[in-house]
Amino acid sequence: MTAVEEELGSRAFKSNVRASLKETEKVKRRDMLGLFMPMIRDAAVKDFDGFEELRQHVKQIKQHSLDNLHHYLSQFVQEAQNNGNHVHFAQDSSEMNSIVLDICQQHDARRIIKGKSMVTEETHLLPHLEKAGMQVIETDLGEYIIQQAGETPSHIVGPALHKSVDEIRELFLQKHALGERELQGPAEMVAEARTVLREHFLKADVGIIGSNALIAESGYSMLVTNEGNGDLCANLPRVMIICTTMDRVVPRAKDAMSLLRLLVRSATGQPVTCYTSFYTGPRREGDTDGPIETHIVLLDNKRSDILASDYREMLQCIRCAACLNHCPIYIGVGGHAYGSVYMGPMGSVLTPLLTSLEESNALPNACTACGRCAEVCPASIPLPDLLRDLRHDETRAKLSPTRWRLGMKIHAWLLCHPWLYHKSTALGMPVLGWLGRKKGSFKSLLLANGWTDERDFPAPQGRTFMQQYQPDRDENNDAG
Amino acid sequence: MDIQAGNQHSNQATPRFQVALYVTCLVDLFRPSVAFDSIQLLEQAGCKVTVPNLQTCCGQPTYNTGDYESTIPLARQVIAAFEFADYVVVPSGSCAGMICHHYPKLLQDEWHDRALALAAKTFELTTFLADIAKIERAPGQVRQLPTVTYHDSCAGLRELGVKDQPRALLKDLCDLEVSELSQTEVCCGFGGTFCAKMPELSGKMVGDKLDSALATEATILAGGDMGCLMNIAGRAKRLGKVIEVRHIAELLADDLDGPAIGEGKS
Amino acid sequence: MTQDNAETELMGKLRRATHQAPAEQIASELTSLGRAPVPALPAQELCEAFLINVLKNQGTINCAANRSEAVKAIASYLHERFHTRKLVAGNDPRLAAMPWRDGGVLPRFGAAEKDPALAPTSASLSYARLGVAETGSIVTFTGKSNPAANNLLVEDHIVLLDVADLVANLDDAWQTINSIQDEEGRPRGVNFISGPSSTADIDAQLVMGAHGPRAWHVILMGDIPDAAMANARGYIEKRLDAL
Repeated sequence: MTAVEEELGSRAFKSNVRASLKETEKVKRRDMLGLFMPMIRDAAVKDFDGFEELRQHVKQIKQHSLDNLHHYLSQFVQEAQNNGNHVHFAQDSSEMNSIVLDICQQHDARRIIKGKSMVTEETHLLPHLEKAGMQVIETDLGEYIIQQAGETPSHIVGPALHKSVDEIRELFLQKHALGERELQGPAEMVAEARTVLREHFLKADVGIIGSNALIAESGYSMLVTNEGNGDLCANLPRVMIICTTMDRVVPRAKDAMSLLRLLVRSATGQPVTCYTSFYTGPRREGDTDGPIETHIVLLDNKRSDILASDYREMLQCIRCAACLNHCPIYIGVGGHAYGSVYMGPMGSVLTPLLTSLEESNALPNACTACGRCAEVCPASIPLPDLLRDLRHDETRAKLSPTRWRLGMKIHAWLLCHPWLYHKSTALGMPVLGWLGRKKGSFKSLLLANGWTDERDFPAPQGRTFMQQYQPDRDENNDAG
Repeated sequence: MDIQAGNQHSNQATPRFQVALYVTCLVDLFRPSVAFDSIQLLEQAGCKVTVPNLQTCCGQPTYNTGDYESTIPLARQVIAAFEFADYVVVPSGSCAGMICHHYPKLLQDEWHDRALALAAKTFELTTFLADIAKIERAPGQVRQLPTVTYHDSCAGLRELGVKDQPRALLKDLCDLEVSELSQTEVCCGFGGTFCAKMPELSGKMVGDKLDSALATEATILAGGDMGCLMNIAGRAKRLGKVIEVRHIAELLADDLDGPAIGEGKS
Repeated sequence: MTQDNAETELMGKLRRATHQAPAEQIASELTSLGRAPVPALPAQELCEAFLINVLKNQGTINCAANRSEAVKAIASYLHERFHTRKLVAGNDPRLAAMPWRDGGVLPRFGAAEKDPALAPTSASLSYARLGVAETGSIVTFTGKSNPAANNLLVEDHIVLLDVADLVANLDDAWQTINSIQDEEGRPRGVNFISGPSSTADIDAQLVMGAHGPRAWHVILMGDIPDAAMANARGYIEKRLDAL
């Protein structure tokens, strides 16, 4: 890689960041979300005395599940097949897309409805189906909005939270040919979306949904929504396809309940979603609705690699977005700046693991290690540590800019030579202190551009502490 | 501000605690008065303070940029220099956190055990003064302090649980209630090398933090971490905003006559 | 890659990356992880706790001592909401056996309207299999007795629940469901419903009636302590005052 290429991934993120920060209205919106979302999560957590204890319990369940994933996944597949589901395995994104397209074509499907599924975003399923001539409609309201706007999600739970009421109003007025109307506020817009989407629900051939948990003991798939669109996708069309990944497996229904209690509180501040549904299989004799055929597509796409790596804990993620809501970087720059399906702290760990560190090393560097993400992660994932480990991988692979790596090495070398360090700082600091004595700070300082672009650099007081303390200095290992 | 004066306040022949002071690189280089204030406070609390001279830096910068290999010798240097002590006290939440939480993660075998041993007796300054030494009185004359707001540094807050201690000390020693700033749990944007790597975003974060501090209309912004304080003070200077930024040791030791962080002598 | 290959490949990778413990050991490890803590109920008495949470979920409530009272409550609801006596009910024998004439209600036993050219069904009635106090939820099984359409494609969803089928929390719910499944086999779907359909996708503002029902009405039937409903309403009022 040339020096220029080396910077490409980082450069895109950095220019995205700069652009994001200039959009004043969007910045204000995100600040509001950064204030509001933590408040509602906090309230929900305070309302449940055992929340912390449940976190510990779920961490153990998840780790046990991952430790025995072969066993539990096999059990799930067996039970799901016994229940009448077709179970498919996809090694990577293109395999999943082919499998899904295949199923749709086998059934001469033209119209497809979808629930929200980050996995299908990851594989870019929609464009694949649309290229083959299918009409695909997102039914989760947030996903529907961004689909109409031709955008990607900015948040893994609320995909359209970056859009203002006015923007959505303009979008609906433009996209829905429904004549003159006011569309005053969210209530009217939701009502309109309800009408527009109802027709799609009723005419669809295939319903595609994701899964929040795969229950090994019964082969059931759990899906949570507030809108009920997941249930509509799962029950009205004649074919249902669940697109999911193997790390969703939990041993028992009660484990899915434990997970649910953490998930919803962490995501929306509710104790539970309006619709918490479990899908067993295809319709039975006498049923008046329900799919005649049900499919479960299990995607690997590097999960098995991650399982075998030091980043295994990332597979505990339940996609609640609490880390996004509490991350000053995410709130500062917004989801789109990440240029990835997954954003925020969880995205900054997952994206390099799903793509490569070469492409995405900018993301783990967008972190102050403030630790707020780990504090709120219901799955107890040590996100700051994983991010740092990725920066370690980046250092070892020599992907970070040379001047940084070299600078750090020189810095560390000097620090390991205390006598030299103290002598050289004793020379330098008083000079710097003298230069800055009147104003107290510097508007610019050699080698400190990043700092001084945004703030003054406070001047040192003068002589260093170790310099001043010299006369009374104790010997090393002096126990007093 | 020198040790001799501090010793005169030492209240007994046999000190209750033998403390080694971990100065931290930012205090050493930029604001030595904080270390002198710390010594004064510790001696007031009945400690005998020594300052091992083979100390430079805890290794956070290299560690957080992912250069574990360069950090390991630094960590060993700190452990070797300080493990003799009964207590190690650090006027910085992030450096104390580095020693307590990250050294054991970084090191293996024998050094891992030595790191754990050191971690067990290493404390951030306000935690030590409030919870261990239980300091009762300020070392000097306590003047009436103007309004003070407080910045909780992320590492201190989340790695070490430093939250109540500085407030309790300000209450007990200076008879002062902190005027809390809003969103106190949000990062100020320093993040070590982050502020240089992502200047615009760091600028926004420190701008927000400064706005929160200014909104309290407090005269002084205090905190326990020089990195954060220099970050906020630097932003205030750049924008021409008036707020006195000081380390909490300065307030507790009544060391308020010299310039605040980022302020000149004029 | 063929499906067999994909499965073999993946399972091979998983086998290598995970423990190779025998099934009994895995089972006993799981059991040793113990029980999960459960959120506290807002009231000691079960009915009251359930009613509180249904109200918190933006549901409306009625208490009925018996089926006749329930039918009258349904009639009253239908009249008030839609000036009608009609509703759609699934082919649940318990629903067929309700004393409809006591309220003058005219149920159609089948599924809610699915033709997009026709007006959607105003109201449907489900007879829940159980209710959960912890979350203010009712549980239906999808199938002939309760088509999915009846939960979703209606303006108002009315749900009957016997007090005897009320359990304290989600874990108890699954214990009950597992027992039912042992007897009846696995249903096509299990639905925990905890409110009318809603969304906060636009500007984080909560709106009812996203794609599913705009309103959700729960009628608790049986031996209910007199004070339960009044206490539940009082609890909610207190919370609203506190805000």
